[in-house]
Amino acid sequence: MKKRLLTAGVCLAATLLMAPAAQSADAITVAADACAGCHGTDGRSLGAMPAFHEKKPAELKQILREYKTGKREATIMDRIVKGYSDEQLDAMVDYYTAKK
Amino acid sequence: MTKISRRTFNGLLGAAGAISTFGISGCTFGSDRVVVIGGGFGGATAAKYLKRYNPSLDVTLIDAEKSHYTCPFSNTVLAGMNSMAFINRSFDALSAKHGVKVVHATVTAIDGAAKKVVTADGQSFSYDKCIVSPGIDMKWGALAGYDEAASHIMPHAWKAGPQTELLKKQIDAMADGGVVLISSPGNPFRCPPGPYERASLIAHYLKAKKPKSKVIILDSKDDFAKSGLFKEGWEKLYEKNLEWVPAAKGGKVASVDAKGGVVATDFDKFKPAVANIIPPQTAGVVAIKSGLADKSGFCPVDPNTFESTQVKDVYVIGDSCIAGAMPKSGYSASSQAKVAAAAIVAVLKGDKPGVFSAINTCYSLLNPDYGISVAAVFEVKEGKIAGVPNSGGVSPKGANAQFRKKEADFASGWYASISQDSWG
Repeated sequence: MKKRLLTAGVCLAATLLMAPAAQSADAITVAADACAGCHGTDGRSLGAMPAFHEKKPAELKQILREYKTGKREATIMDRIVKGYSDEQLDAMVDYYTAKK
Repeated sequence: MTKISRRTFNGLLGAAGAISTFGISGCTFGSDRVVVIGGGFGGATAAKYLKRYNPSLDVTLIDAEKSHYTCPFSNTVLAGMNSMAFINRSFDALSAKHGVKVVHATVTAIDGAAKKVVTADGQSFSYDKCIVSPGIDMKWGALAGYDEAASHIMPHAWKAGPQTELLKKQIDAMADGGVVLISSPGNPFRCPPGPYERASLIAHYLKAKKPKSKVIILDSKDDFAKSGLFKEGWEKLYEKNLEWVPAAKGGKVASVDAKGGVVATDFDKFKPAVANIIPPQTAGVVAIKSGLADKSGFCPVDPNTFESTQVKDVYVIGDSCIAGAMPKSGYSASSQAKVAAAAIVAVLKGDKPGVFSAINTCYSLLNPDYGISVAAVFEVKEGKIAGVPNSGGVSPKGANAQFRKKEADFASGWYASISQDSWG
């Protein structure tokens, strides 16, 4: 019994110490993570798709708004940004740019 | 000098032993167990994101194969643009980087009552939640004469791997002047623009290497995904090397005689040099055998979470599920996986599942420098998954060569990113 408790204690301690901080899987996380298919996990794109984890939040928010209004030339993002409100887009930008 | 008594030493050993026995990621004491079936875009993404959303979960991924060949970009292999290795994805990062337990076994049944998954080699995996992502299986016999044995003569190549290699071998061996016939099924099926991208890239290969040859698509439908864009491109690129025959013009294949090399419609008989038969499909057999599918052959789910409406605590994602307006694509599967993973993490914590949000983005290549795309953002409306109004759609018609080249480059970028996001 003692050994089992000790094992459990070590296990719990190891989990608490070693596990990376858990992300909360809230609405913005789910919406934002859908973008990772093209832009890479945490926005760290490996190929031709723009990476956005190192961009400044204001710059990225501006780009997305310009895709929406048609001010900025796009191949596909003009079609995608129209699926979100400005507030949603801003929250998704904050989600990605907060990751270092 | 501090002396360590034998008892203390043994105690320390015991504690260290406990860590190494359980492993850090294997600290399963009291953890909720999630078993994921299938290591394609859906299953791999689900396993990875379950661990991202809750690292303390005990996640096991079961796939019969040691690695996964992706259907996306398998058409570039047929055209000689890429190798089989290019479309092969390893499960190593899922275990090494994300702490997923990867098991190679064939799942024979999901026992929803006992909440366990049983494999052909006699293993049994208990779960609190199970995610099922087995892709599609062929509906053998739905097309007269086309069974599994026939597929070794007339490949479907609609699951990447040995079938892709067989079809490529046949195309490579074909003499100039031959016909490659592609039979395209009725809806619903995996990757709706896939047969047309395949026809395009094979035509691209033929135009350069065997210019007297031709691709003929015999279609069970009168329209198809991105049809306007494909037809525009075909007129420019493949006037002599590609022909599409819709159902209305007798395109629907009625039967095949694989041994005789014959593909028959109600009006005609063809004896092509190469026949690529893409047959009608169902949900993965394991989903059907486990009582997850309805009469359609696919699996009804709660659109907010992807939990099966037929078996509690089992979630079906990807090509096997009925997902309203979302097409059966790798991107859809991966996006659905994140929704299901988030819902499971929330429910296991005693919270309500989050709000559904998903995307599909799909590129098709007409040649290495000519790409087109379709995209959509999805929401749940009136209990169904639907596209968000006034968003999404296909690439513009009449765009210039530079635009098409950009989209071809983005197609490669898409593949690099989604491969990393799912398996990396």
